[in-house]
Amino acid sequence: MVEVGVEYTRVSEIRGPLLIVEGVSRASFDELVEVETTDGIKRLGKVLEVGQGKAVIQVFEGTTGLSVKGTRARFLGKTMEVPVSQELLGRVFDGLGRPIDGLPEPIAEEFRDVNGAPINPERREYPRDFIQTGVSVIDGMLTLVRGQKLPIFSGSGMPHNVLAAQIARQATVVGSGEEFAVVFAAIGVQYSEAQYFKRSLEESGALRRSTLFLNLADDPAIERIITPRVALTVAEYLAFDLNMHVLVILTDMTNYAEALREISAAREEVPGRKGYPGYLYTDLATIYERAGRIKSVKGSITQMPILSMPADDITHPIPDLTGYITEGQIVLSRDLFRRDIYPPVGVLMSLSRLMKDGVGEGKTRADHMEVSNQLYDAYARAQEVRALSEIVGKAGLTGVDLKYLDFGDAFEQQFLKQAVDENRTLEETLRRAWDVLSTLPEGELTKIKEVHIKKHYRAKAG
Amino acid sequence: MAHSHAHDHDKVLESIVGKVVSQVESDLIAQIESSYIQSLERLRASKAGLVAEYNKIVENASKQAENLKRQMVESSRLAVRNRQLLLIEDAVSSAFSNAIAMLDSIRSDERYEAMMRRLIESTLDAIGMDAVLECSEKDRDMVDRIVLELQHKYNFSVEVGDSIPCLGGIKARSRDGSIILDNTLDSRIERLRPILKKDIARLLMVEVGR
Repeated sequence: MVEVGVEYTRVSEIRGPLLIVEGVSRASFDELVEVETTDGIKRLGKVLEVGQGKAVIQVFEGTTGLSVKGTRARFLGKTMEVPVSQELLGRVFDGLGRPIDGLPEPIAEEFRDVNGAPINPERREYPRDFIQTGVSVIDGMLTLVRGQKLPIFSGSGMPHNVLAAQIARQATVVGSGEEFAVVFAAIGVQYSEAQYFKRSLEESGALRRSTLFLNLADDPAIERIITPRVALTVAEYLAFDLNMHVLVILTDMTNYAEALREISAAREEVPGRKGYPGYLYTDLATIYERAGRIKSVKGSITQMPILSMPADDITHPIPDLTGYITEGQIVLSRDLFRRDIYPPVGVLMSLSRLMKDGVGEGKTRADHMEVSNQLYDAYARAQEVRALSEIVGKAGLTGVDLKYLDFGDAFEQQFLKQAVDENRTLEETLRRAWDVLSTLPEGELTKIKEVHIKKHYRAKAG
Repeated sequence: MAHSHAHDHDKVLESIVGKVVSQVESDLIAQIESSYIQSLERLRASKAGLVAEYNKIVENASKQAENLKRQMVESSRLAVRNRQLLLIEDAVSSAFSNAIAMLDSIRSDERYEAMMRRLIESTLDAIGMDAVLECSEKDRDMVDRIVLELQHKYNFSVEVGDSIPCLGGIKARSRDGSIILDNTLDSRIERLRPILKKDIARLLMVEVGR
C-alpha cells in the first residue's frame, strides 16, 4: 500500500513558480502537492518532474514568501480533483475551485480529475443544433451550434466580455426552449470585468444556472493554468452526467498562455515563437478539445474562449494556434468599435465552420445559408467600393457602386448594430438581412435562389 | 359738381376696400380652414404615432417587469438554496464533532491495537526504518509494545518520541527530519472529510425526511 500524505522538508531551490524538493522517492508526475509555509499557510501545487530523488513542483499560488528553510511539501497521492455536483450552479469559486461566495465547500457527488477524460473520437457526435444567441451577426452569419468551440478574438479595451455576457444571457436552443447552464472561467481578468459578468447573469436571473470561477488580475498567475481545467471538469459533469447544455466561457486565454510561458521559462525549456513553449498548440488543444457532444448523451459543451490579441495582431501565436484547433472564430474589429458599432464583429475576418450543418430547411430557414453568403459577398464588395471612393471620390463611382456604399452603411447600422440587451429572434435577424439586401438591385443577388428572392426581396424605391 | 365727384370717388374706394377686405377675409378663412384640416390630419397622424409609442412603452415596461419578476424569483430561490447549504454544513459539522468525540472511546475496541500496528507498519514503509514516532500519551504503552515487537521482527531503529495531542494513530518523522508522515486519526479524518460529508449529508436528509 502506498501511503499518501508524506511530507518532505528538504527544499533545495525556489525558482520562479517552481519549488525543488530533494529526497523524494515516491512522487508521481502531475501529483497534487500541498506546500506549507513556515507560518502554516497552505498552497497547492503539482509535480512537473520527478527523478533522481528530486521533485519539481509548480506552486499554483506562486512562491512569493516561501523560503527554502521551513517549507514543507506534502504529496497527496492523487492528481488535482474538483468536487462536482449540481449544487455548483449558482456558486462562485476562485481559480482553483475554492468557494469565495461565503458558502461552504460544496457537497460533492464525486471528485473528478481536472485533466478530464478525453472523449472517445468514435463516440463524438457531430454538432448540428442551432443555438439562437439573439445577436444578429452571430445568428445570421456566424451561427453557433451546440457542441461547437467558437472563440472570440478581441483586442484590449474592446467589448468582448459584454458580447460574451449577452450570449450567455440569451442563448437558447430554438424549438426546445432549453436554456444553457453557463460555466464562466475568468483567467487573469480585472475585478470590474468579473463583476460585470456576475451582475449581468444576476440581473437576467441566469446566475442560478451558472458557475463562476474567478482568477482575477491580482491573483497568482500560475493558478491560471488550472482555472480553465477546473471549469471544464465541472462543465463535463453538468453536460455528460446531468444531461445539461453547457456554455463555457473562458476569458482571457491570452493570460493562460502567458502563465504557461512563465512556467516554461522557469523550467528553462527551449522557447518557441515569442517565447511561448513549443507545446503551446498541444496544451491549448487539451482545453479546446474538451467541447462537444457524445452519442446517446443529451447534454453538450459549447465553448467560447475569448482571447485578446496583443496589438490586435491576428498572426500572434495565441490566436494563430487557437484558430487551428477551434471551429472558426469571431473577430472583433477595432475600426467598427471606434465607430461606436456594437457588437463590433469584423464579419470578413470571422467564420463559423460548423454553420453549414446547423442552418437551412428544417433547422432554421431555407434561405439562411444563401442570405449569409450574399451578405458576406455584398459587404466585401462594399468595403472595396469604400476604399475606391477614398481615392476617386463618390463622383467617380458607378450607380451600382453607390448602391453598394449604401448597402455597407445599412448593413452596419441596421443588421450588425444592436443594443446590449436586444435579443433578436432569427426571424427578426433574417428580416433585417433582407431589408439591407433589398437596398441592392435584384440582379446583384447572385448567391440566392430565385424562389427566395421572390419571397423576401423588397426593392427599395429610388 | 365737385361734391358729387368726391362722393363717387369715396364709393369706388369703399367698394375697393370692401372687395379687399372680403378677399382677405376669404383668404384668411381658407387659411384657417386649411390649417384646421392640417391640424386635424397631424393630430390623426400623431395619434397613430402616439398609440405606437404608448404600446412600445407598455411593451417595454411589461418586458422590464417580467425581467424584474424573473430576477426576483431566481434570486430568492438562490438565497433559499444558499441558506439550505449553510444549514446542511452546520449539521454536517456538528455530526462530525459528535463522531470525533465518540472516537475517544475507540481504544476500548479490540481492533484498535491491530489498526495501530498496521498504521505503524505502513508509516515506516513510507518514510524508512530510521524514524521517530510520536503518539498520544494514552497510546504510548501500546506503541512502545508494538515497536518492540516489530524491532525484533525486522531489526530496525525506531524511537518513540514525545507525546502529541491527538485522537489516536501516530505521527512519524525520519531521524534527520526530512520526511514526515502524519498518520494520526485527526489527520486521516480531515483528509476523508470531503468524502464523508456527502454520506453524512445524505443520512441527515433521510432523517429530516422521516
